[in-house]
This record gives sequence, structure tokens and C-alpha cells, in this order.
Amino acid sequence: MSEIVKVEAVTRSFPLNHDKTRNLVSALNHASFQVQAGEFLAISGPSGSGKTTLLNLIGCIDKPTSGRLLIEGVDTSKLNPGELTELRRKKIGFVFQTFNLIPVFTAGENVEYPLLIQGVSSGERRERVKEALAAVGLSARANHRPDLLSGGERQRVAVARAIVHRPALVLADEPTANLDTQNATQLIDLMHGLNKRLGLTFLFSTHDARLLEHTERIIRLCDGTIQSDSLADPQIETHPLHANAPNQGGNHGQVLAASLS
Amino acid sequence: MGKFLLLAFRNVFRNRRRTIMTLLMVGGGVTGLLLSGGFFAFMIDGLREHTIQEGLGHLQIFTAEHFRRDEVRVLDTGIDNWRQIAATIQAGPHVRGVAPRIEFNGMVSNGVKSSIFMGSAVDPAAESSLGFRPRISEGNDLSSKPTGEVEALIGSSLAKSMNVKVGDGLTILAVTSDGALNGVDVQIAGIVKTGYDEMDARYIRVTLASAQRLLQSDRVTNLVVGLDSTANTDAAAAALTPRLQGLPQKVVLKKWIDLATYYLQVRNMFFGIFLFLGIIVFFMVLMASVNTLLMAMFERTREIGTMLAMGTPRIWIVTLFMLEATLTGCLGAVAGVLGGNLLGSIINASGMHMPAPPGLTVPIAFHVLHIPALMIASSFIVIFSLALASILPAIRASRLQIAEALAHV
Repeated sequence: MSEIVKVEAVTRSFPLNHDKTRNLVSALNHASFQVQAGEFLAISGPSGSGKTTLLNLIGCIDKPTSGRLLIEGVDTSKLNPGELTELRRKKIGFVFQTFNLIPVFTAGENVEYPLLIQGVSSGERRERVKEALAAVGLSARANHRPDLLSGGERQRVAVARAIVHRPALVLADEPTANLDTQNATQLIDLMHGLNKRLGLTFLFSTHDARLLEHTERIIRLCDGTIQSDSLADPQIETHPLHANAPNQGGNHGQVLAASLS
Repeated sequence: MGKFLLLAFRNVFRNRRRTIMTLLMVGGGVTGLLLSGGFFAFMIDGLREHTIQEGLGHLQIFTAEHFRRDEVRVLDTGIDNWRQIAATIQAGPHVRGVAPRIEFNGMVSNGVKSSIFMGSAVDPAAESSLGFRPRISEGNDLSSKPTGEVEALIGSSLAKSMNVKVGDGLTILAVTSDGALNGVDVQIAGIVKTGYDEMDARYIRVTLASAQRLLQSDRVTNLVVGLDSTANTDAAAAALTPRLQGLPQKVVLKKWIDLATYYLQVRNMFFGIFLFLGIIVFFMVLMASVNTLLMAMFERTREIGTMLAMGTPRIWIVTLFMLEATLTGCLGAVAGVLGGNLLGSIINASGMHMPAPPGLTVPIAFHVLHIPALMIASSFIVIFSLALASILPAIRASRLQIAEALAHV
């Protein structure tokens, strides 16, 4: 497996007032972990624990106060704004809690948008939109505007939009938070299926127990600090790549080493 | 690009009520400009034709020395062989006719009271053939073949101040070419209202033969040329100028525009007013649009954040906002052009008149001309204004912090 994301001692602080040198509040403290291609990984924790901050940093829509963040081996701190935009455009797909579809576009056009900004030809766009909508089971709803779709359908369109350009990484911020149980379950199954079938790497923030049940690895955050980084399988508690990560109990690493041997 | 244009187009109509209000404002601005500009153009065109038809003609011929002449002995610099020149001009292209004139001045007296006058001596038949007819409020025009008494037309204000009426006698005095003072008795054939108060207080018109007898000269001061159309002025001038070369007496040809000082002043004044109105509309649309577009930007903050997060180049966001504003401007301009032409047609059909402005004695028809160049200019003003108004919101939208924009409620 190749490394998609590497987070190295990343800290993100926000000023509480206009004086940026004083009264800093830390949203993320020295977070370190790695994500391998094909993982289905959840970042969990209570509200205000830093989940969205971490996702924003990995998604290159925010910059760390300190530490390094690498996407496919590229140090994002060394990229200029234009290069960061290009990196997001090509490497990352986003799924948002509130769907964030463009309301004046149809479902098909929303899915087409990432291809449009990549300059993909219209013929290829058509084919890939068709595939993406079929993958989320919404082929019949391609010409519907978002306001004519249910919440679950909208989020499936958002997933189709996030995967249509075949990104290296799909980031989903609380994707099931605005869905009822049935739609949430369908979405979880869908994302999990895409992860298994297409080998797409999913990294999402959630505190939805239903979603956590399906994940293979969970990073738990509390007050901006990684509390644990564990495999969901009860037999294996800690991910092998993070046996030496800060804020993790040393026992987890030993358990992991034992299990691997 | 097609999809991007589609996105901009749909965004224009996403808040219909606001878009309609914006279109009404933009369209109203264009309609206002078309109505005012169309009316001004009608006034200017009317004044032009009025000026030409009142006797200025399309072209005039003078001696080269005319413009350096002595105001008292006016025929010292007059045209000698004017009949030959008139015949030459008459044969030119687009020429309807040639009328000889003597423009002179002097004193007029009724035996009790005297006043200065500005005289115009004409050939009534030639004037009539060119359609130059004085506005006679009482009496008759000058006779083409006078017998007996010397006839004169007199301005209404001058007649009033001299306390004379049609049929009364007056004596007009002027300086001859020799420098002597000469006088001739005239009988008032008619009273004229030129349309201008100042002119009516000075105006006297006699036949060419009477003036030549008064001024003791066979010369004329100028030849007035009437053309088949004002539009042919330049072509006729270009064709006639070579024919006037090589004459024993050097003469010059002047176009009506070179002589219509009052027309030019009025035209420049209307241009100034229209420019002022254009600036007002421009800033009105600009200010109102900046506010509307900023509102639209704030409402779409999260959407813009989403687009930026997905990797949309910031310049695309700027382009999108400017495109939306320009599209709104185009739609508003179309609405304004349609509205302006419709309202203009209704006004024209209604036959409305405006009260006579200061200096004029007749009311002016309220008529609006439909001028394509004006429609283009007015549309450009509002489209440019909206495009300009969108720059600030567009730049602000493109500079949004993505994480903050995504958290925007």
C-alpha cells in the first residue's frame, strides 16, 4: 500500500481576537498519523474536538500553524496557493455535512463540475458522470435539481461528485449528520462499497456510531489531541503505522506487534 | 465554457424577485436615456431642419473678403457676377435652387420713432422655390413682381414698438457703398413672427431690387443654395467647390453647419445634458448593483467556498460574478430598449406638445426618435456599469477563506 497522507506533528491554533500573537486557542495539537491508499478511516470525537480542523488541513483548505502535511509525498506547506488549488482539484474529493451541491445545477451537472474545472472533454465528462451516478444508484435522477432530491439522494450526488474525477483521497466531513438512519445506512454502505470495489481512500470525520461500525480504523480526537488511533477490529486495537505516534498508549503498539508476528 | 455560461445564466435567475428589481432598475435607466436622448435628437434634428428651412439653406457662397467686411458698407465685399455664379451652382448635383441675398442693417423710422433693424433682401420667387417662407402672422409675403410702393415685411415686436400695422408706411435708412446715407419709403406688406423674440424686434425683409436701390449697388452679399436633402450637403459641397475655382472674383463656399452658430450651441447644450444624464444613470446602476451583488455574494458564501475547495481557480469565481453581472446588464438593456421604444412610440402617437421654451414663441412637439446608436450607447452604459459594479463583490468572493466560507451559515 502507498502512503496517501502523512501528518507530522501538526498544530493549528486560532487567535481569539484581532491580535494574532496573543490569546491563541489550539484546535489541534501535534497530530501525527499516516493514511495508506485504500483505507476507510474515521476521525471521531465530540463536537469541538478538532475533527473538521484536521479534515480542513488534510484537504488543503487551511494551513497548519506548525508541523508538516504531505499528500502523496508532497509537502503542502511548500506549495503556493495555485498549486494547492490544483492539488485539491486533482487529488481530493470532498463530501460535506450539508451536501453543498450547486443549487442551480442538476445532479448530473453537479457531478460533472469537478471534471469541468479539470478541463476534461465533454464526451469523457458525459461518460464519467454516467458511471459516477450509476455507482451511487442515481442514474435516473441525473436531470433533477438538488431541491427535488431527498437528503439521502443529495448526499449520494455529493459522493458521486467527490469520486468522479478519481481522486487519491475522499474527505467527508460528518457525511451522515444530516441524514436519517435509513439514508445514513445506505450512504455508509455506498461509501464502504466504493472503498472496497474501487479501492478509493476514504477519510471522514464522524461521531455517528452507525458509521463507526463500518470503519476499519478510527482516530479518536479530544480537545485537539489524538487520543487513540486504532483498528476497528476488536482483535487489533492499534494501527501498525502509528505504533510510535504521540498520545498513544505504548501497549497498543505492543499488541499490534504481537498480532502481526 | 458553455457550462460555465449556463451556471452564470441560471445564477442570474436564482433569486427572481431581486433579479426583476435589478432588471427594472437597469431597464428604467436605459428607457430614461432613450426617451431623453430620443427627444433631444428630435429637437436637434428639428432645429437643424428649421434652421436650414428658415433661410440658412444647405450651402452659402460669399466672397473671400466677406468675413473681413465693414459692417456698415456691406456690399463693398459683395458678389459682383452673382448671376453667373448662381447659374453655375444651379447646374450642380443635388441642387434644388439658388437664392441671392443681401444681409444689411440700418435705421427704420415712422416719423415719430426710430429703431435699428437687421434687414434681409431676397428674391421672393427664388426663396419660394426653395421653400423658404417667412412666418407671416398678418398680411402677405412680398410680391414677386412688385408694382408701385416698395414692400417690406417687419418683425412683430418691431411693429409693436413702432406702433405700425399692415399697410402703414416706414422709412428705412442705410449706408450706401459710397458711404452716403440713403433712405427709401416702404409699405408694410406683412408682419412676421420668426419664432425668436430678439429677431422679431429687429427684423425687416424687402425685395432684392429695393435693397439694391437703397444701397446703390447691383451686388449681393451671399448666395443661398438649397439641396434635395441635408444628408447630401458634404457631397454637394465637394462637387461644387471645384466649379467655383478660377472665377474673376474669389468666392468661398460654406456649409450650413459652419454658419449655424445657434444650432451648434443648442446641440452642444443637449449633448452636455445627455452626458450628465448618462453619468447619473451610470452611477445609479453602479451603486445599486454593488449592494445587490454584495448581498448575492454573502448569500452564496458557502457555495463559493465549496467551489474553491473543489479546486476552482479563484479567477473563475471572479469571472463567474462578472459574467452574471454582465448578463444582468444585457438583459436589463434589452428590457430597457424594448421599454424605451414602446414608450417612445406611445408618446409619439399621443401627439403631446411641450410649452414653448424661453426665446421661442411656438410650442414644441414632444416626439421621440428611435436611434440605434443611442440604444447601443445606453445599453453599453448600463452593461459597463454592472460589470464595473461586480468587480468588488467578485474579488471579495474569490478571496474568501475556504474553511471560513464552508462554515458560513
